[in-house]
Amino acid sequence: MVNIIVLVKQVLHPAELKVDKTSKTMITQGVPLVISETDKNAIEEAVRIKEKHGGKITAITMGSPQAKEALREALAMGSDEAYLLSDPLFEGSDAHAVANVLAAAVTNVLDYDLILCGAYSEDLFAFQVGPRLAEICNLPQITYASKVTIDGTKITVERDLESERQVVEGKLPCLVSVVREINDPRLPTLMAIMAASKKPTRIWTAVELHLGAEELGFNGSLVEVLRNTISVGERKRIMLQGDSKEIAPNLVKSLIQEGALKAS
Amino acid sequence: MSQDRREIWVFSEVQELAFELLGKARALADQLGTQSVAVSTGSQEDPQAYVQHGADKVFVLNHAALDVFNVDTYTDAFAVLVAEQKPEVFLIGATRNGLEFAPRLSERLKTGCVTEATRLEFDAEKKFLLMDRVTLGGNLVETQICRSTPQMATVPRGIFAPLTADSTREGEIVKVDPKVKPSTTKLLESRPKTARGVKLADAPIIVSFGRGVRKKEDIGMLEQFAQIVGGVIGCSRPIAEDLHWLPEEQYVGLSGQKVSPKVYFAFGISGQIQHLTGIRNSRIIVAVNNDPKAPIFEFSDYGVVADLYQIIPALNDAVKQFGKT
Repeated sequence: MVNIIVLVKQVLHPAELKVDKTSKTMITQGVPLVISETDKNAIEEAVRIKEKHGGKITAITMGSPQAKEALREALAMGSDEAYLLSDPLFEGSDAHAVANVLAAAVTNVLDYDLILCGAYSEDLFAFQVGPRLAEICNLPQITYASKVTIDGTKITVERDLESERQVVEGKLPCLVSVVREINDPRLPTLMAIMAASKKPTRIWTAVELHLGAEELGFNGSLVEVLRNTISVGERKRIMLQGDSKEIAPNLVKSLIQEGALKAS
Repeated sequence: MSQDRREIWVFSEVQELAFELLGKARALADQLGTQSVAVSTGSQEDPQAYVQHGADKVFVLNHAALDVFNVDTYTDAFAVLVAEQKPEVFLIGATRNGLEFAPRLSERLKTGCVTEATRLEFDAEKKFLLMDRVTLGGNLVETQICRSTPQMATVPRGIFAPLTADSTREGEIVKVDPKVKPSTTKLLESRPKTARGVKLADAPIIVSFGRGVRKKEDIGMLEQFAQIVGGVIGCSRPIAEDLHWLPEEQYVGLSGQKVSPKVYFAFGISGQIQHLTGIRNSRIIVAVNNDPKAPIFEFSDYGVVADLYQIIPALNDAVKQFGKT
């Protein structure tokens, strides 16, 4: 039996985000909210481990009440229970403050052998929450997993680094962050989606997590965002259309002028 | 006492990246009138190399357990040293190892860390380091500060330029014998991904392709173009992971190789977010796609709406006519 906590983040669908070039604002309206892709891999891996070893999967997300949707999907994919960590006091949290809230929830769950999460989220790409949570919980971390094998309390993980593949052995309990290469997340069947609505989902606010306002949100953060700038025009976006025989020399000349290609 | 020194520290287990960080650290240290400091692990390293690249001081963490990167032992050793020396700023190379190490270390030190910073400048009072990072698929630049010290950031390859090595530079070498607990994890095996030695991370020109290339045999056409412009071949994730046309170490993207060439050619790549994240630090991006709505055009300097099968021969001719390599 391996009891697993899987951490899930709901993000704006990264491919559908657009910038309004005239007002220089992000267009978020109508952009669907989805589970960040690597977190889906984490859910899938949890389900596969459960299928092999048995145990219970607890999905946890932190976010607005809308994030319940992400939990429903996690349940439909095969999680057994879910917790939504939601409180206006959580707003404006940095990676440390998020990890702190998650750590409180993990402590509340008590009975777990393994924490699974994506190595990064698809909106911020910060790579921070996993290691920070592991540090707060005093757990070993094994990151960038592309394969996980469990044998009793022994866990063997293939790690996917830039230029090498490592095989690392550790002991449960620990935190493992996964990359997309680890598996192909399943699409839940209609039956599974219906069954998910009967599985327990609870909401924990700061009160249930025994957290004070001073350690939450903006106040509890170690990093402060001073400003956001829409990055418009960072790339030149010169469009070339027409006959290839005309475009090609123009493009090559431009690249030579920019010193990117060498002139003869 | 030591708090007033306000030193600028750097570390990367990849020495070339540490040199890049030192280039920036030198400039920041000069602004504060303080020292730039490198931390060296691994007994195989020559600490003088850091001095030659701009370090005033090098701490050598002298322990056999640190010869190979391990997040447990590194966090133990660095946390003690940093708590003792209290640097003002600590820059860490944003390799995958660096990206799992920096947040864990900063959490232990209870300080903030801005990962994958692309710009670092002091504010007017020279108190806070203003750190830019790009989010939301390259659409948004967040300027952040750390409220406590050390003000930490991780920085990827290709953001800052290293100083030219100067063998006459002098610096202090300080040997430290850290106490390191045995790691909770054990490295059983390490296999290099690259067998052929094509290093995308160092390539000045990359000719990359995606699903727009119809069959494996057509790769020859791209290889020929790469040869003419003096570049190396790369690809998008599906080409390596799904079709296995190229080895996995040649796919560019967040989970593949992150690149920073002078020119990145993207032939028939639509521009998934993971891919765009991997090419963000390229100086010039040239995208060729027959779909004018392909997202990659938003992130390109030159967008060519064309059939790649027509444009590549035309580009070959044009390069032969106007350029040399």
